[in-house]
Amino acid sequence: MKFVTYRLQKLIGRFFFGLYCSISYIFLLSPIVVVIGTSLNGPTENVEASFKFPPESLSLYWYTQIPEGQIDALLLSFVLAIVASLCACLLGVPAALGLVRSNVPGKALISAIFRAPLQIPAIVTGIAFLQLFYWIGDLTGFYWQGSLIGLALGHIFIATPYVVGTVTAILQRFDTRLEEAAVIHGASPRRAFFRVTLPVIMPGVYAGALYAFMVSFSDVPVAIFLSAPGFVTYPVEIFFALENDFEPSLMASATLVIIICLLLLLLVQKVIGLDALLKVGGSRGVG
Amino acid sequence: MWVRWWILLIPPLIVGFTLVAASQFVFLRASFFEDLGLGRVGDELVIGNYVQFLTDGFYLKILWVTVKTSALAALSTLILGFPVAYLIARMRSSWSMILLAGIVVSTFITIVIKVYGLIVIFSANGLFNQTMLAIGLFDKPFSVFGNETGVVIGLMHFTLGFGVLLLYSIIQTIPKSLESAAQIHGANRWRVYYRIIFPLSLPGVTAMLLMVFNMCMGAFTSAALLGGGRVFTLPVMIQRIVMMDIKYSMGATIAAVLLVSVIVINLLSIYLLRRLRAAHLVVV
Repeated sequence: MKFVTYRLQKLIGRFFFGLYCSISYIFLLSPIVVVIGTSLNGPTENVEASFKFPPESLSLYWYTQIPEGQIDALLLSFVLAIVASLCACLLGVPAALGLVRSNVPGKALISAIFRAPLQIPAIVTGIAFLQLFYWIGDLTGFYWQGSLIGLALGHIFIATPYVVGTVTAILQRFDTRLEEAAVIHGASPRRAFFRVTLPVIMPGVYAGALYAFMVSFSDVPVAIFLSAPGFVTYPVEIFFALENDFEPSLMASATLVIIICLLLLLLVQKVIGLDALLKVGGSRGVG
Repeated sequence: MWVRWWILLIPPLIVGFTLVAASQFVFLRASFFEDLGLGRVGDELVIGNYVQFLTDGFYLKILWVTVKTSALAALSTLILGFPVAYLIARMRSSWSMILLAGIVVSTFITIVIKVYGLIVIFSANGLFNQTMLAIGLFDKPFSVFGNETGVVIGLMHFTLGFGVLLLYSIIQTIPKSLESAAQIHGANRWRVYYRIIFPLSLPGVTAMLLMVFNMCMGAFTSAALLGGGRVFTLPVMIQRIVMMDIKYSMGATIAAVLLVSVIVINLLSIYLLRRLRAAHLVVV
């Protein structure tokens, strides 16, 4: 009898624990599910009814109604995120290699400089770059805010630390004897680097590039200062759309973005594995 | 080895240093000019903006609201996140990977889109309010827009995924055998939590709270969207004062105050994490 009550207690305990945890999951994931579900509503007479969840009829009607402004913004965000993540890799990978491999004095300071953008709140970065661009503009006559180069600079700034972080994490666990073995067997240091070291750190580069892409692709606080009318990134566009014209077509374009993000995540996960993705990254949420 | 690795440091260091130093210098300098409104500034360096910030009840209230919502969001993140992190860390089956994936997915979707979902869920005839009214828990629809509760919920959407991942790595360092040992010696579940897991995770949890608190202090998007123009935190105020009132210097001053407070808290949490890492109590 005592045994049975013990088992029962354990079962009840587990039930409530599971219930509690599922509340966290519902809290986290329900907005995403609701956006996808709502986007499938059919055309309705009053706009209000188009925001019903669960949707009353399934259709792709609102996907055909996505305004051109949002598509342009989406394309700009895409180009910008690719540029930002490429540049972040070009800067971040050598930085990580130099940080881990060399023994220059003042390494702590150098690594603090690379990590500085993570410490600065994004909104502060936004206003700082806006004023920097005003200042440069006053000096040279070229104003960079509202241009691709301005936006890209801001996003490279906030995205690079992620690449430095992920590649550093891999390099610190890298066994340099692998390289030595390659050289002993007659490879030039160059060859050893490209054939041994680089393939080993590639998961870190992929993970870093993914984080960098996502940071750029979902940034509002920096881009809000550096965009110009007609030259707006997608998150900023829908940030303002929320205040001005809240249309059901927003749900459709948001769903497209969710799908893009999930596909990217899936792709990187397939290449390097979810475990590796988490191990290398301080996956600091974006937004 | 045979390669001069430090050469690789030079180009990124030049770019990184230039961007950090130039942007921070220009905006910190701007915060010391008198603000004449409409984008015009005085031409003498003064500390008037800071005096105004520290003596004006309006700005001090914003600082207080920022600290309050951030602290509440950090605590709620811990309360909602810890059990999930514990569950994932202690799970042996392949379900743990699926549960982790759920957390990662949520951190990768931009907050703006999640706010759209929240709008639908919490609208007057939305899912949440209909259910609550039907059960009878509330007698009138509950709104999350333009009040501090909403801002806290928005901040939690920003931090919960990150918080769970961090807590997960903290809990992983507590050996399961300690729990089993306590149970064998007759401790019940609560006693195990209270005497084993809680004290052993306390240092890591403190560091996590500081980091999450800091993220919230600087969070713009979620606070701006859910504050709905009625709740102001420092980041929201910076954007408004720069883009609507066109007061660049005052905006820079608020940004400087935010920056300094965030960096102080950050240094504290880095120091804490470093001590933990030295003691092998956390793997991040």
